[in-house]
Amino acid sequence: MTWMRSWEGFLFLVLVLIYALNAWTSPVFLTVGNQINMVQLSVEKIIVALVMTFVIINGEIDLSVASVMGLAACAFGWMVQAGVPGGWAIVIALGIGLACGAFNALFIVGFGIPSLVVTLATMIAFRGFARVLVEDRGISGFPDWFNALGQRGLVGPVPLAIIMFAVLAVLAFLILQRTAFGRKVYFIGANRAVAEYSGLDVRSVKIRIFIASGTVSALAGIMFAARVGAIRGDIAQGFELDIITMVLLGGVSIFGGAGTMSGTILAILIVLALRNGMALQNITGHIQTGVLGVLLILSVMVPIIRETGSRLLARVR
Amino acid sequence: MRVSLSTLRILVLLGVFIATVLFFASQIDGYMNARLFNRISGSVAVIALIAVGQAFVVLTRNIDLSIGSVVGCTAYFTGGILMAWPDLPPVLVPVLAMAIGAAFGAFNGFLVARFRLPSIIVTLATLAIFRSILVQSSDGSSITTDRLPAWLTEFATMNAFTVGDLQVRWIVVISLLVVLTAHVFLTRFRAGRTFYAIGSNPDAAAFAGLNAARTIFLAFVISGALAGLAGFLFLSRFGNITVVAGLGLELKSVGAVVVGGVNIFGGSGNVLGVLIGAALIDLIDTSLVRWALVSEFWREAVLGLLILLAVAADTVLMRRLLRRKGGAA
Amino acid sequence: MPPVLEMRNISKSFGGTAALSGFSLVLKPGRIHALVGENGAGKSTLIKTMTGIHQPDSGEILVDGQPVTLRGTAAAQRAGIAAIYQEPMVFPDLSVAENIFISHQNRPQLIDWSALNDEAAAMVARLGVTLDPTRSAAELTLAEQQTVEIARAISLNVRVLIMDEPSASLSEHEVQRLFGIARSLRDQGVAVLYISHRLEEIFALADTVTVMRDGQHISTRPVDQVTQASMIAEMVGRDMAGRFARAPSKTTGEVLLKVSDLSRNGVFRNVSFTVNKGEILCFSGLVGARRTDVALALFGVAPADGGRVELAGKTVTITSPAQAKALGIAYVSEDRRKLGLALTEGITPNLTLPMLPKYSGPFGWLDRVRELADAQAFRDRLNIKAANLTVPVGTLSGGNQQKVMLAKWLNTRPRLLIVDEPTRGIDVGAKAEVHQILRSLAAEGVAIIIISSDLPEVLSLADRIIVMREGRIVGEFKGEEATDEAVMHLAVAAEVA
Repeated sequence: MTWMRSWEGFLFLVLVLIYALNAWTSPVFLTVGNQINMVQLSVEKIIVALVMTFVIINGEIDLSVASVMGLAACAFGWMVQAGVPGGWAIVIALGIGLACGAFNALFIVGFGIPSLVVTLATMIAFRGFARVLVEDRGISGFPDWFNALGQRGLVGPVPLAIIMFAVLAVLAFLILQRTAFGRKVYFIGANRAVAEYSGLDVRSVKIRIFIASGTVSALAGIMFAARVGAIRGDIAQGFELDIITMVLLGGVSIFGGAGTMSGTILAILIVLALRNGMALQNITGHIQTGVLGVLLILSVMVPIIRETGSRLLARVR
Repeated sequence: MRVSLSTLRILVLLGVFIATVLFFASQIDGYMNARLFNRISGSVAVIALIAVGQAFVVLTRNIDLSIGSVVGCTAYFTGGILMAWPDLPPVLVPVLAMAIGAAFGAFNGFLVARFRLPSIIVTLATLAIFRSILVQSSDGSSITTDRLPAWLTEFATMNAFTVGDLQVRWIVVISLLVVLTAHVFLTRFRAGRTFYAIGSNPDAAAFAGLNAARTIFLAFVISGALAGLAGFLFLSRFGNITVVAGLGLELKSVGAVVVGGVNIFGGSGNVLGVLIGAALIDLIDTSLVRWALVSEFWREAVLGLLILLAVAADTVLMRRLLRRKGGAA
Repeated sequence: MPPVLEMRNISKSFGGTAALSGFSLVLKPGRIHALVGENGAGKSTLIKTMTGIHQPDSGEILVDGQPVTLRGTAAAQRAGIAAIYQEPMVFPDLSVAENIFISHQNRPQLIDWSALNDEAAAMVARLGVTLDPTRSAAELTLAEQQTVEIARAISLNVRVLIMDEPSASLSEHEVQRLFGIARSLRDQGVAVLYISHRLEEIFALADTVTVMRDGQHISTRPVDQVTQASMIAEMVGRDMAGRFARAPSKTTGEVLLKVSDLSRNGVFRNVSFTVNKGEILCFSGLVGARRTDVALALFGVAPADGGRVELAGKTVTITSPAQAKALGIAYVSEDRRKLGLALTEGITPNLTLPMLPKYSGPFGWLDRVRELADAQAFRDRLNIKAANLTVPVGTLSGGNQQKVMLAKWLNTRPRLLIVDEPTRGIDVGAKAEVHQILRSLAAEGVAIIIISSDLPEVLSLADRIIVMREGRIVGEFKGEEATDEAVMHLAVAAEVA
C-alpha cells in the first residue's frame, strides 16, 4: 500500500510537470475556457474510465465499451429520427447499454469464457449493430435542449460534462474505496478463490460490474451525441485504447486486485492534459493516439521497471 | 478409420462454407459465376495471409491486434521505397515488405516474450503506435497509383492460369503457397510443433525444456512478416495508400482464425481451417452486399456474433468432452 | 554394481526451515528403490533437488560417480534423471507419439510421422502396454497419460526414473499395469525410485526401501528385512517426551453435527460421524485420503451428492460457502496463499471479509472504525505480531498469517470450526499458540474438526480421532487411547490390524 501511495505521488508530479510544460509552451492552456474545453471534449472517455477501473481491479477487461458507446449513440439518433421523444430515446438507449453489459456477463459469468475473448467479439458485434442502424448516414437535428446539455454551460459557464466528471468521480471513489461492494471488487480481483471461500457472491459482483460498464458506456455515448450534435456509425471508435490507458497508467494492475480510484483520476487528468497540450501544438489525433500507445506499454511495464530499479538499487547498496 | 478432431472441424467448416454458398445462390440471381470467384479469391488472398500469421500467434496463447496497422505501414513504406527507387528488381520488393513487417512483429514479440507483458495490451498499444507512425510518415507525401511502377499495379490482376472463366491470379497462388508452407511447417516440422506445445501446456513445455520465449517471439515475427507480405499485395491491389490502409484487418484475422477452428486459448488448430475461415468471412462480406433482403451493414455484426458463437461452441463442447472423460476415469 | 545416482549429504532449507538435512541416497541400476516417509518428511524437496528444480544448499549429486550440477528439468533429463507425478505433465492437444518425443532435440527437423508413430508404439510396447500413438493426450485416462510420460522418460534413455505417488489416483487394475511397467523398466536396467504411501505396494514391488523423517535419512534396508510395523515405527518414531501435554475433554456430550453416509462420486463415500459441542475431532490420514474433500463438502465448496448432514438436530443441504457461513460453519483452509488470504491486502480487510454485512451501513457504507476495532481486538486476543493492521498479510510470518486466518473465521462466530492443517509450515512457538487457541475455543463450546497430517498434533489435541484412507473412514480412536503407530497402521495398510 505504501508504494501505491508513492505511485500516486509520482502521477501527481507528472501531472504538475505536464501542466507546467503546457502552460509554458501555450498561453491558452491555463485559461478557464481551455480547461473546461479539455474536460468537455473527453468526458465520454472519462466516465467510462471510472467504471473500467472497477472492471480491471476485478480481474476482467471490457474491450466492448467504445462499441457500446457507438451503439447507444446510434440507437438514440435513429430513434430521434424515427420520431421517438428525446427523453424516451435516452432511456431506451441506456437500456440497450444495460442489455449489452448483461450479454457480455452472460458469456463471461454464465459460460465461463474469458472476458478478453467475449468483449473482443462483442466489440465487433455491437459496432456492427450500430452500423446496421445508421448504415453510412450521419444523423443530426437533435432537440435543442439535448444539444445544449453537451455544448453549453449548465451552471454559469460550467457545462454538464464538468459536473458529471466531478460527481461521478466522487461517487466512483466512494463506492470503490468506502463500501462493501468496493471491498468485494478488490478481493475478487486479488484472489477469486479466497473470495469464494469467504462466501462472497463472486458471480453477482461480476454481473453487476459488466452491466454497469454497459450502462455507463451508453450514457457516455449519449453525451457524445449531445456534444457533437450528430452521430455516425464510427462514433467513439478506438476509444477503448484511451480508456484502458487511463486506468492502467493510474496504477491499476492488469491482473486485477490492485490500484485505486484516485490513481485513475490522476491518470485521466494526465491523459487529458497531454492530449490537450499536443492539440495546442497542432499535433494530429492519430499521433496523439500513438503517444498514448507508448504510455500504455510503459504503464504495464511499471511493475517490471520498479523491480529492475529496486534490484539495481540493492546492488548499489 | 477414426476421424481426428481437427479433420472433423475442417469437414464441418467446409460443410458450412458450401451451405453458405448454396444459401446465397438461392437468394441472389446470377450469384454463381466466375466474377464472384475472381473477386473473392483476390481478397481472400490478402486476408488468408494475415490470418495464417495470426494463427501462429494464437497457437501460442497470444493475440496480435496490431496486424492491420502493420499491413498499412508496410504497404506505405514499400510504396515509398518503390517511388524513390522504381527500378528495384520486382522479386526483391515482396521480400523487402516482409522484412519491414517482421521488424514490426519483432517489436511486439520482444515486449511480449522478453517482459511477459500481456499480448492483448501490448498489441492494442502498438495498433495505435504503428498507425501513428504511418500517419506521421504519410504527412509529407502520399502513395498514389500513378507514381508506382506499372508492373506493381498490373501484378494484382495478373493470372497465373485460367480454368474456363475462372481466373486464378498470381496473388492467389502466392497466398495458397504460403498457407501450404505454413501447413507443412506446422504439421511436419519439429519447430512447428513447438508452437502447439507451448500453447497446449506451458508448464509441461517448460518441463520438457522447450524455449517458450523464443517461440513466442518467432510467432510475432512470422505474424509481422506475413502482414508485410499482405501489405505488398494490398499495395499492388489498391495502389493508393491512405492513413486508413488496413484498418480493421486485425479483427478479420482474429475472426478467420477463431472461425477456422484454432483454439483461442492456444494449442490446437489447423491453417487449412483458417483458410476456409477466411474464405467464409469474406464470402459473407461480399454476398451481404449483393443480398437485397438484408443490408450490407450487417457484416460486422455477423462477424462478431460468428466469433462469439465459434468460441462459445468450442468452450462448451470441450468442457463436455472433458467431463465425459472425467466420468469415465 | 556401481550406483547410477548418488545424493551425498544434501541439505536444503526454505526461509530458515530445513526441508532436507544431510540426506544421502544411492540408486543402483536394475533396482526398484522405495522411499517412504510421513507427509512433510521432505520427499518432494528431495525429488525437486534430483530433477534440477531446486538447487541444494550443500552436498553433492553424483551421476555415474561424477559430480553434477542440475539446473532445470531439461538438464536433469540430459543427465538421465526424470520424474513422473500423480498429475501427469502432458500436452493435451498433441498426440501420444508427439508427447513422447517432444523433448528430443536431436531428431531431424522434418517429422516422419509414420516412423515416429512406429517408434512411439515400440516405446510403449517396451512397457508392456498397447496405446494408439495417434490419439491425442486429452483423450487418454490418467493412467494412460502416466504411461506416456514414462515412455517419454525412457525414450530419452533415462536411467533414473522417479515415480512420485504414481498410484494415488489409479484403479486397482491400473496399479497392476503400472507395476508391470516398473518391473519391465527394472529389467531393462533402469533405477526406479518409487514413492508411495501404500506400504503394501512396497512389498509387492521394491527391492530396497529407504525411510526418511524430518528431512533426514533414517534407514535403508533390503525389503525382505523390514515389516510394515518396522517401517511405521521408523516413520513416526519420535521422541515421545516431546509430545504436547493433553488437556481433558471439555465436551458436554451434546451433538452439534451428525453426518450420515456422506458421499461424493469418485471422491469419498459413506462417511458417517458426529461432533459434539466443545469437542475436538481430528481427521487423520495420508495425502489423498480425501479428508479435505469431506470438509469442502460440509463447507459447500464441492457439495456432496449423497448422504445426510444434520446440524443441531436439523437436516441441512449445504451448497455454497455463503450458506455454510450463515449456518455457523467456518473452514480454515490448508492453503493460506491460494485459498485462505489475499496476500496483497491488509490484515483488517482480510479479517473482516466474510462478515462485510456486519460492518455495512446504508448503501453498503463500511464502518471502518468498527472494522479496525474488531481487528485490534483479535490482534490482542490471538497475539498477532504485525507492525500495524494495514500491512499486506503477505508480509507476515506463516504463524501470524495462520492467526489472521483463524481470526477471520472466529469473527463469524462459528458453531462448527473446521481447521485444515492448522500448523503446517509455522514455527514451534506459533504452533503452541494455535493449539492453545483451539483448545480455548472448544472450552467455549465450539465444535472443532481438525484435519491434520501431523500425528503428535493430532494425539495432543484430539478428543476423538477418525482415520480415513482412500475416501473412506477406516477407524476411530478415543484421543487418550490412540498411539501414533496404531493410527499410522490404519492410515497406510488394510491387512495389518
